[in-house]
Amino acid sequence: MLSLPRPLLWAFVLLLCAQLFHHHLDQQRLQTGYQGLGKPFSVAAYRGLAMGSEQLLGYLLALRLQLHDNQAGRHFRYSLIDYELLVDWLERITEISAGTEYPMLLASRVYASTGDRERLRLILEFIQRRFDDDPQLHWRRLAEASVIAKHRLGDIDLALAMARKLARQPPSVEMPRWARDFEFLLLADLNELESAIAIIQALLQTEAVNDPDERRFLQGKLLDFQQKLFESRQTPAD
Amino acid sequence: MTSQTIALFRYLMLGIMSRRLFVLLGVLVLAAVLSASFIEELAIINGAAIVSAYVADFLRYSLSLLAVLVVASAVAEDYQSRQFERLLTMPLARWQYIVAQTLVIACLCLLLVLPALLLVSLYSGVAVGFYWAAALWLELLLISLLGLLAILSLEKIPQAVFFSLAIYLLAKLSGLISLMLAESVRLSEGSAGSRAVEFIFGSILYVIPDAGSFAESDVFFESIDLLATLGDQLLSVTIYALFLLTVCLVDFYRKEFSF
Repeated sequence: MLSLPRPLLWAFVLLLCAQLFHHHLDQQRLQTGYQGLGKPFSVAAYRGLAMGSEQLLGYLLALRLQLHDNQAGRHFRYSLIDYELLVDWLERITEISAGTEYPMLLASRVYASTGDRERLRLILEFIQRRFDDDPQLHWRRLAEASVIAKHRLGDIDLALAMARKLARQPPSVEMPRWARDFEFLLLADLNELESAIAIIQALLQTEAVNDPDERRFLQGKLLDFQQKLFESRQTPAD
Repeated sequence: MTSQTIALFRYLMLGIMSRRLFVLLGVLVLAAVLSASFIEELAIINGAAIVSAYVADFLRYSLSLLAVLVVASAVAEDYQSRQFERLLTMPLARWQYIVAQTLVIACLCLLLVLPALLLVSLYSGVAVGFYWAAALWLELLLISLLGLLAILSLEKIPQAVFFSLAIYLLAKLSGLISLMLAESVRLSEGSAGSRAVEFIFGSILYVIPDAGSFAESDVFFESIDLLATLGDQLLSVTIYALFLLTVCLVDFYRKEFSF
């Protein structure tokens, strides 16, 4: 011990203190502050890093993103999350593991719970944009997004645009009739009764609907809308 | 000659079968199952597929490392205990040692893939389980032969393990490295240095395993023709394994042992 050179001893003590101080600061930073999302790498970089397991990496990144609001044993509010970066991450994960439903599910079920309208709009736009990748896989998410746009965002036009997208899908995209019926229901809400009636009549005439219960539902709605339209035309005269 | 080779294989096989190997294998399987159950808790959808792919990849990388370590330790012990000198005093050709080691490696890989077969079959069904076991066996065979070549040439365990893993990772990350080099060429506006490095790396890629030599993890998420995928991998691995064995033979015949 005594034979150790004095400068080496001092250097050791100094570096030990520096390490302890740095560790202490690091711990404090972790405990007190929310660590924001970093910017994602490019798709090509992730594909290279995946070492052949792109799908798995995509899912693991999605799980990591899902856990982002839980840091150092604490849960942080979604209002702290930068939604533009969040959408970048969701886009990136969708591109890494094509054919996955996970980012869309996170968007519609988890991140759409934000109370901030602008952030909610970003999420809904992401769902609307990504729906075209695989309508068969994502129709549920777009239907949910349409409902959220109408009831939570109060943007009937956006809701209608989404519902129209669902309704215009070719018959090869299998989804229940109610998903396609969103469009005329929203049109009725907008008081666009004539358009709603035209859509229902077209549906009934083209025999696109074979299910008797579905036809009965449509006929009921048709009568209902025609009645409302008639009443709305009568009211000014009264 | 065949009986001599089989006797040597049995002798070498007994050398690597130890309680430590089984304990390590058990620890790896336990670690895979425990971490997978944590992931399963987190996943909102597709939990079974995610867990299955995770377990499969976890076992792929951990068993690769284990296989290289086992092969390198076994051959390094032969060097240390002057086993080669003793063997060469017997009526044995050097190629018989390489053949016996190859059989040992094949059996070791078979032993290592058994837990993967069991776990993946449990999580993803028997067909995918058998595919993964066969594909992983080929991948482990490849990296173990790489380990054999490394230890025969370098004679020291750390260097051999480092070399084998470096080649393995280079092959696995070749896409990313090529991308980085291409970006470097673009940023340097096509400088001669960057182009030279890109060319050298492109040339190295010809002598390392290609992407088709490894087990395909997308089978857990997509419906893929398992037999066709396995057939492609078998072809890639066969060619590369024979190439590695030839290099092993060249190197082993070149070596001089003092009696």
